[in-house]
Amino acid sequence: MEPYECIDLVNMENVATITFKDKRIMDPAKIEQMGKELLSLVESHPSEKLIVNFENVRFFSSAAINKLLVLEKRVRAQGGSLRLSNLRPEVRDLFSYTKLDSVFTIEDESSPSF
Amino acid sequence: MNSSGNSESSIDDESRDEPVEGWSVDQYIASVPDNCARFMEPFLDELARRGWSGRDEFGIRMAMEEAIMNAIDHGNRRDPSKTVHIVIRLTSARFFAKITDQGDGFDPLKLPDPTLEENLENSRGRGVMLIKRFVDSATYNQKGNSVELRKVRSRI
Repeated sequence: MEPYECIDLVNMENVATITFKDKRIMDPAKIEQMGKELLSLVESHPSEKLIVNFENVRFFSSAAINKLLVLEKRVRAQGGSLRLSNLRPEVRDLFSYTKLDSVFTIEDESSPSF
Repeated sequence: MNSSGNSESSIDDESRDEPVEGWSVDQYIASVPDNCARFMEPFLDELARRGWSGRDEFGIRMAMEEAIMNAIDHGNRRDPSKTVHIVIRLTSARFFAKITDQGDGFDPLKLPDPTLEENLENSRGRGVMLIKRFVDSATYNQKGNSVELRKVRSRI
């Protein structure tokens, strides 16, 4: 498996869980790199269930959101599914303020995983 | 600059009685995208030092980063010979910042509403919406090349 600079990947029972290495995710070059890695990951794991685990994420900019939107579109086009999990309250605010919680499936703590 | 006028809405006036030492910066950065993160790192440390955390800290970070990146990307069009002027006054209770670019400005009211269903997957307007949403007030000057951000900490 190719090593990623910005993300970590754990595969378990047909579910790929992505975590971010950078807690802040704000450097533009890193955001570009993260976007590329997310897409390459989808290409190598088509039709899989993907979970983006936000537990390490303390900040997420609008540029980073754009990368996540591209990922969501690609996953949907390939017939896979994408969920976001373990969002801090303030990161969850970001998705509600932007109404992107209607585009992404966001796992609340109480809701079961796959 | 003389700031003795009592009609100024400067944070100095608002925070005069606060016991914790304030922090301020008045800096010009070149319009290179990496300079945003470079500027923000020490500022985030100053926020943490004054007890800003959770939603409050996140909100300031969001507004600052979006405003600086807008200034670099849209205002100065990443022209490294143009600068972004950043002024910050911070105490443990209040945050004020003014971010000014050398661009032609824009009319924030003319941006599309990024929360409308048809615009959700389009990034235009989202940065400015986030700036307004995450601080108490975000006021653009008439030209639209300068924004003032204010936030009062919700709990101490």
